[in-house]
Amino acid sequence: MEYEAVIGLETHIQLNTASKIFCSCKADSWNAAPNTNICPVCTGMPGVLPVLNRRVVEKGTLLAAAMHADLQPVSFFDRKNYFYPDLPKGYQISQYDRSLAKGGYMDVPQADGTLRRVTIWKLHMEEDAGKTKNDLISGSRRIDFNRCGVPLIEMVTGPDLRSADEAANYLTRLRQLLRWIGVSEADMEKGHLRCDANVSLRRKGETILNTKTEIKNVNSIEAVRTAIVKEIDRQSRAYEHGERIEAWTLEWDEDSQTLKKMRSKETEADYRYFREPDLLPVYLTDEWRAAILQDFPELPLARRARFMAGYGLPEYDAELLTAERSLSDYFEKAVQAYGGEAKRVSNWLMNDVLRMLNDSGKTTAQLALTPAYLADIIKLVEAGTINTNTGKGLLEKVNASGKSPEEIVRAEGLAKVSDDGAIRAVVEQVLAESPGEVAAYRGGKVGLIGFFTGQVMKKMQGKADAQKARALLEEMLR
Amino acid sequence: MELFELTALEIARKVRNREVSAAQVLESHLHHITAVDGVPGTLGGDQNTEPDKVHAFITLTADRARQQAAAIDAQIAAGQDPGPLAGVPVSIKDIFCVAGTASTAASKILANFTAPYTATAVERWEQAGAVVLGKVNLDEFTYGSSNESSAFQPAPRNPWNTAHVPGGSSGGSAAAVAALEGPISLGTDTAGSIRLPAAYCGVVGLKPTYGRVSRYGLIAFGSSLDCPGPLTRTVADSALALGAMAGADSRDATAATVPVPNYLAELEKDVRGLKIGLSPDYFRITYFDAASGDLMEQPVPASVRQAVLDGAQKLAQRGAEIVENIPMPHTKFGIPAYFVISRVEAASNLHRYDGVKYGYRTIGQVEDLRSLYRQSRAQGFGLQPKLRILMGMYVSAAQYSEQYYNRALRIRSLIRRDFDEAFQRVDTLLTPSTPAPAFAIGGIYGDSVLMQYADQLLVTGNHAGVPGISVPAGFEESGLPLGIHFFAPDFREDLLFRAGAAYEAASGPRNLAPAWVRGASSSLEVQS
Ligand SMILES: [Zn+2]
Repeated sequence: MEYEAVIGLETHIQLNTASKIFCSCKADSWNAAPNTNICPVCTGMPGVLPVLNRRVVEKGTLLAAAMHADLQPVSFFDRKNYFYPDLPKGYQISQYDRSLAKGGYMDVPQADGTLRRVTIWKLHMEEDAGKTKNDLISGSRRIDFNRCGVPLIEMVTGPDLRSADEAANYLTRLRQLLRWIGVSEADMEKGHLRCDANVSLRRKGETILNTKTEIKNVNSIEAVRTAIVKEIDRQSRAYEHGERIEAWTLEWDEDSQTLKKMRSKETEADYRYFREPDLLPVYLTDEWRAAILQDFPELPLARRARFMAGYGLPEYDAELLTAERSLSDYFEKAVQAYGGEAKRVSNWLMNDVLRMLNDSGKTTAQLALTPAYLADIIKLVEAGTINTNTGKGLLEKVNASGKSPEEIVRAEGLAKVSDDGAIRAVVEQVLAESPGEVAAYRGGKVGLIGFFTGQVMKKMQGKADAQKARALLEEMLR
Repeated sequence: MELFELTALEIARKVRNREVSAAQVLESHLHHITAVDGVPGTLGGDQNTEPDKVHAFITLTADRARQQAAAIDAQIAAGQDPGPLAGVPVSIKDIFCVAGTASTAASKILANFTAPYTATAVERWEQAGAVVLGKVNLDEFTYGSSNESSAFQPAPRNPWNTAHVPGGSSGGSAAAVAALEGPISLGTDTAGSIRLPAAYCGVVGLKPTYGRVSRYGLIAFGSSLDCPGPLTRTVADSALALGAMAGADSRDATAATVPVPNYLAELEKDVRGLKIGLSPDYFRITYFDAASGDLMEQPVPASVRQAVLDGAQKLAQRGAEIVENIPMPHTKFGIPAYFVISRVEAASNLHRYDGVKYGYRTIGQVEDLRSLYRQSRAQGFGLQPKLRILMGMYVSAAQYSEQYYNRALRIRSLIRRDFDEAFQRVDTLLTPSTPAPAFAIGGIYGDSVLMQYADQLLVTGNHAGVPGISVPAGFEESGLPLGIHFFAPDFREDLLFRAGAAYEAASGPRNLAPAWVRGASSSLEVQS
């Protein structure tokens, strides 16, 4: 029997606002000691009230626009009621039936070059809960409220993904997009991007949806891929044995790389949603919306396509150069400053500038080597003013000093020496100093030409026109 | 006349003129409170202790008040103006948080809770020069109309007849103001909880427009209905008190940004040219017959009807135009809809009291988290919160919410429409405050349904969000006070003050406090 996997992903995206969604506590508590980033509002003290952080709506709007979702002029917050110690109010303020945006989709390129269109079923704003830790030694539960009130977007896809790889690709593209539009740091290890996966199987060709299981607690893209592969495997074996799939909730255990059953999910919990009376409706007016979307960027896939079509870049280059928005911006600025063939700029960027970035851990914005300077260096090499090796060394020098390439070439006398007389004098000197090698060359070991060229370049601090030096050597060794 | 008999306006004027000091005013009140209030309500106290005293207070914060009074006097001495409430002693319903002071909500579950912050309404009064006497009693979590449900006993008694309830839930506030224990008290009104006890105790009770006064620091009951408001002995004091606390608040998104007028100046305008409406739907009470479940209807008592008509006549004589037969057809659904909406919100608002973070936690052995929740809540909550949780959970459950909760919300919109249409024709509506005067202690407590019908003529204002004021309208034959009530459009409290003050003026001098209350302090004087 041939089965096909049906996968939907529920993601929780932590927005990178400065403060929490309903109070003025810092949103980011990474490395903060437990319960040090809290206030009466986010710990649900009696009598205090939530006040909406407008930046949350703005970031949510950017994401909704990027997902081609229908932004709603009016949306509401609701209470989702349940008891848990790390939920201090006993309800989570979320959005239910009238959320910020409706519908939407994301196109995800697959390894075989096709696009998988993933529909968005739900996109809403909500507050995060705290963290519970079971202290095994004391047998007690410890609650950290720091995360309470951190702004989240919950985004749920339709059951549109067909393999573990597709699910992983979706997350990779989502992470790229979140960073691209600047709404989340999207670091899965830090919980900025959390993912639960709903997995079921069906016979190929069928359109029904079978009972699904839900995989929780997966905190890397690789873990999502592995967990789904294992669950697909488990379910297909169960079907082969004629067993029924039950609606379990499974927990991914990273250490043992296995799925563990958390609970059976017989009945849907009743959260008794109702409108949050402490908050006004969210009115996304035309003016506000226009202001938020005023500088909405070209999205990664569109830019990738344009780099291929407009600049003639190979797919590999276009993909790499659009991995991050700042890098692709850098590339385009350099191309414009250079004015020549974009592929040359791409080569310099991918071979050398990316290495500089990786080695230094810096972003393109932090480089003293501006796109214009990079273009200048390429032009100096193209014009024959400096040779390629000098050009590569110049990248570091410009970046270290912040001076323009021309200035450094002038000050350090790096320009290529093409004067026949000057090179001829050095050639004569080299030949005089190496009588043995000269004899060997003349005896047929023509490979020694490299040795002679190297000696000349060395004596001239690399500034000699290498081709000219070689030609002169060949002539004089004849 | 003793200082404790003065109105807030008189006190503030005298303090600002250096005729008396804030400290003198405070000591006069503290002395008087000692004479009339008796033992404060305490957790597990006996409801029958000192049945002839008022028992308005849970926590009297005399030392804190003395520090505030001294600070006011220092300001005066330095030539500064402490503000419009300079030296005015006020009491606070114990449902508001005041930093460093116990905030109990009259419930065992919060008996040990001390808030690290102060409610905006209280903070603004303090900034205007008020001196906070302490926290007064209420129905547990404000759930009731008699104060009998308080976990802090003895509960407040009606100063006009201490065998009767003061009303609720702001019963401690109404009793305190009526017994001359401070000219202003801060209450809350979710379905009449300011105006009903005001009527029962013969004082002025104002429910402002929803959002006129910040709810920050108010321990929530029905968040979409709750309104902080003042209880005072005169309409002018009500205007003074509202002006000192109304306005936008960065800590409450639902606090309106509408500008706050000078209510005291508006109040001078009288009622000439105002159109005042009467509605037949406010002269009858609708209720469900307990046995048959049928919807029954009966007219309000003649004395209540007469008080309203008499008020209309007085206002007409001062130049108001009385417009009769304003239809308010959805008034009768106010209570059932309120039962549903308020309980859904209340059940949710009570979730946070789980014994985990603050408040009461069971001292018994618990085997797991569930039983910690269950036992803490079972032992910490009294009967009324439990009833509200049960009903709130029921009517908001997925399978019932369409039948109850969503229907109640539709009724709420219809009630709002009644008011919108009425205010196309008139400036204010004149109605009875309550169908009857204060009932006897133990009279109908326990039957919370029947007790809630006492709010039937007031709760519509909470549904619609419009402001209402209850002003004293003499006494019934029994000697218990009656009130009449005005509704006005959103943010038109100025109209309520004009109508209320005009009626007050037309009624001539009235007995502001029971004789025994006035005499109590002087007899104490003789003894000491
Ligand atoms: Zn906070």
